[in-house]
Amino acid sequence: MFQDDGSSSVTSTPVQMFPSMSMSPSPYPWLKELKSEERGLCLIHLLLTCAKHVASGNFEHANIALDQISHLASPEGDTMQRIASYFAEALANRILKTWPGIYKALHSTRISLASENILVRKMFFEYFPYLKIAFVITNQVIIEAMEGEKIVHVIDLNAAEPTQWRALLRDLSARPEGPPHLRITGVHQQKEVLDQMARILIEEAEKLDIPFQFNPIVSAIENLDVEKLNVKTGEALAISSVLQFHSLLAPDDEVVKSKKNSNGVHLQRVLQVNPKDLANGYSLSQDTASSSPLSSAITSTKIEGFLTALRGLSPKVMVVVEQDSDHNKSGLMERLSESLYFYAALFDCLESTLPRTSMERLKVEKMLFGEEIKNVIACEGGERKERHEKLDKWFQRLDLAGFGCVPLSYYALLQARRLLQGYSCDGCRIKEENGCVVMCWQDRPLFSVSAWKCRR
Amino acid sequence: MTAEVDNSLALVESAVSGEGSGASPAANVEKPVKRKRNLAGMPDPDAEVIALSPKTLMATNRFVCEICNKGFQRDQNLQLHRRGHNLPWKLKQRTSKEIRKRVYVCPEPSCVHHDPSRALGDLTGIKKHFCRKHGEKKWKCDQCSKKYAVQSDWKAHLKICGTREYKCDCGTLFSRRDSFITHRAFCDALAVESAKGQPEDEPPQKKDEEPKPQSVESTPQSTSTASPPPPPVPLAPTPLTVVAPVTPVASSVLCIKNTPELPEVSELNNDPRPVLDNQPQLVGGLTVSCSGSCSSTHTGSTSSSVFASLFASSTASKSLQSQPPPQPQLQPQTTGYQDLMQTLVQPTQTPDLTLPPVAQEPISLCLSTSPGSSIFRTAGQDIRQYAPPPQPTMSATALLQKAAQMGASASGASLLRGYGLERDDTDGASIALGLGVGYDGRTGFEQLIMGTPSVYGPKHTLDFLGLGMAAGGGTTNGLSALMTSIGGSLDVPKAVSSFGLGGRGSSGEFTGKDMGTQ
Repeated sequence: MFQDDGSSSVTSTPVQMFPSMSMSPSPYPWLKELKSEERGLCLIHLLLTCAKHVASGNFEHANIALDQISHLASPEGDTMQRIASYFAEALANRILKTWPGIYKALHSTRISLASENILVRKMFFEYFPYLKIAFVITNQVIIEAMEGEKIVHVIDLNAAEPTQWRALLRDLSARPEGPPHLRITGVHQQKEVLDQMARILIEEAEKLDIPFQFNPIVSAIENLDVEKLNVKTGEALAISSVLQFHSLLAPDDEVVKSKKNSNGVHLQRVLQVNPKDLANGYSLSQDTASSSPLSSAITSTKIEGFLTALRGLSPKVMVVVEQDSDHNKSGLMERLSESLYFYAALFDCLESTLPRTSMERLKVEKMLFGEEIKNVIACEGGERKERHEKLDKWFQRLDLAGFGCVPLSYYALLQARRLLQGYSCDGCRIKEENGCVVMCWQDRPLFSVSAWKCRR
Repeated sequence: MTAEVDNSLALVESAVSGEGSGASPAANVEKPVKRKRNLAGMPDPDAEVIALSPKTLMATNRFVCEICNKGFQRDQNLQLHRRGHNLPWKLKQRTSKEIRKRVYVCPEPSCVHHDPSRALGDLTGIKKHFCRKHGEKKWKCDQCSKKYAVQSDWKAHLKICGTREYKCDCGTLFSRRDSFITHRAFCDALAVESAKGQPEDEPPQKKDEEPKPQSVESTPQSTSTASPPPPPVPLAPTPLTVVAPVTPVASSVLCIKNTPELPEVSELNNDPRPVLDNQPQLVGGLTVSCSGSCSSTHTGSTSSSVFASLFASSTASKSLQSQPPPQPQLQPQTTGYQDLMQTLVQPTQTPDLTLPPVAQEPISLCLSTSPGSSIFRTAGQDIRQYAPPPQPTMSATALLQKAAQMGASASGASLLRGYGLERDDTDGASIALGLGVGYDGRTGFEQLIMGTPSVYGPKHTLDFLGLGMAAGGGTTNGLSALMTSIGGSLDVPKAVSSFGLGGRGSSGEFTGKDMGTQ
């Protein structure tokens, strides 16, 4: 499986040096004899090495590392092999982006089926307990907050899973004081998803005889106009944000571009000189852009504005579910090591849930996690949307925007734990931290659920 | 009798502001039994009959405030309003000591309710009746141009106009749920296609109506309406009711282990195709299997099983997509376990599905839930049951931790170096090391591992270009320690060249360059 001139366009030295290579079957026959543990360790080492080279612009060495990884990694192997294959792909993408023309040419013909994406997200809901736990907690929080309210308005910033709201409808109809008038506003980018959700929920409400309205809003979070949410006075508002806020941490591209242009001339000259230097220039400028005080401050990200707008709606309660891992550092190496741990946990969870031959598992790994990994590793600036951060950072941001944390009630936690027990997933754990719930795999925190109210 | 009539007439006159219509004398209906609340059309025999004029009935705000001319429908409301103007106000008490039930007749002579025996018991009711039947329709709906005489009717219609539209698969639209359901029961289109994916509310019904074979037969079963519980009694298979088993299938599939007659059932899940042809048998097979599994599936939905029920309904039956030509059932009897394995592996929907994307859920999804029990339980358990026993490999998380530990110590890095793999400061030569190993066969490798540990020496302390700092950044991440250790020996090229692989003179140059680029 040795590519004799594999990626020789990047570096010609190996070929020159080892013409004999083209004749040998494989340069690493002994690799096959590696046990899986050693192979895994090799892969980790190789990944780190490769990332280091990429970060420093040393693409020739990075290429060699990638080549070695390719002999060991496989998207259908064991967990470490799978992870390595996706991380290697991400690193390769990162390298390739320094030749934007080649990158675009390679990716322009890719077909991404929206239906597949929807399916994959559904699978993520199915095969992991995490979203279900988040939904159960969210519903419980909403019910508790809306005790005694006659008109309830729920805004779902990612209305993809109707199961959650069906459960809410049922719980509300079982209220001792009877169900309130319920309005749900769903935000999603695809109209079909919203239509489906509307159908399901309206039918459910009809059955339960709850006065119900569903308002679909076809929009991305970044472009959401808060006015369109149509919050009326007198209704009790609840907002649910599941894994949505972190994409707003991406710097506003227009702002960044204007800054770059001022010193862009210098960059362009560098472009023609040397790919290596270009990589430096690229990564350095992007890194500085993202780590400079301006871009990390309020003005060039959308999160502050969005949170303030939400605060302006005076919600009675807001439930925030986010990944609990820092994938937003400006240095590639740090991001890589953090995300290695994070996605290793997720891949392990999948390993314990689905067989290796499962197509669904492959799809979730490739289309969901693989894409996230690619985004974390290969993209910079406004393109990098998967800017996960740890819970304490979210605490700060939400605090700044005028929200106060509401500790989750005992009953919410109880329901979450009960759910988990029923799920019988061995490594999935729940722990409570500062009044919020953090869902973990073994000891690795993965997702956090927290509830917020408006602070005067 | 007459005294009563006079009384009622007097009351009428006082109630009406002036004009009386031809108030017909009250004719009390003789009825032996007195009822608290009247049934429709049968007024209380002891009630007073009141006849109001059309003008009174149509008037909206009879009581007007003299200060601001604001109209009120009731005198009490006006009195309360007068308080705001600091005017003298008086709330009238009830005029009579006893509560006298009043019924109202419609002034329109041709109307059924003109007769006191058909009087209506509610003032608001008679007002609305008069407007609706004998009034002019002043309110019109924009969307469907339906006209209404009563404003509240019009408002109510606006809320639902266009929001609830049921569309049958044959294309007919309905605004009413009951007519929609009835239509679907007999719609031909359903006989041709199998159940289209629509969410179903299976567990609540399953909970409530455990054994109800009739419900399966009689209720039109496409998927979205009241779905039948797993029928414990074999049904007479009809093409229509076939659709019903969609959800029972889900449950029975889950109980696959317990029931023998599964090939058909599992086939149902595995291959949508056979559904059409073999539905009759399927139903039979299903019912048998379902009867066995009924009890187990009804594990009692707890209050937290909303998810379960929602899950089953949303995923089940979606698996049965309409497929083109029905194909005969082919597969030999396989164990349920294998079937489920197959299902788990089964690729997702074929491209000819026309359903919205969300509906295209992989068949295996319906396996992940079991009606009547919590999503969480079933999903975890069942899926895990069907997953192969975990291989004795280290999990990725464990590997990472081990790597981190190894990185902290020097030995790990050198072990890996022993494999001749990528050296960060290597040039082509040390890569040759790795490659050359393969080239040379085992000998070079052995030499590496055993022969030259001293070459690599403890150079890892050298922070490769401050990489340790960049990576570590103050964290105690073991991986960063590993990374630090990677930044190792600069003597490798020399060692490499000793292997006689044509050591490159540029090796030193390379390393120097590497150092410079960070």
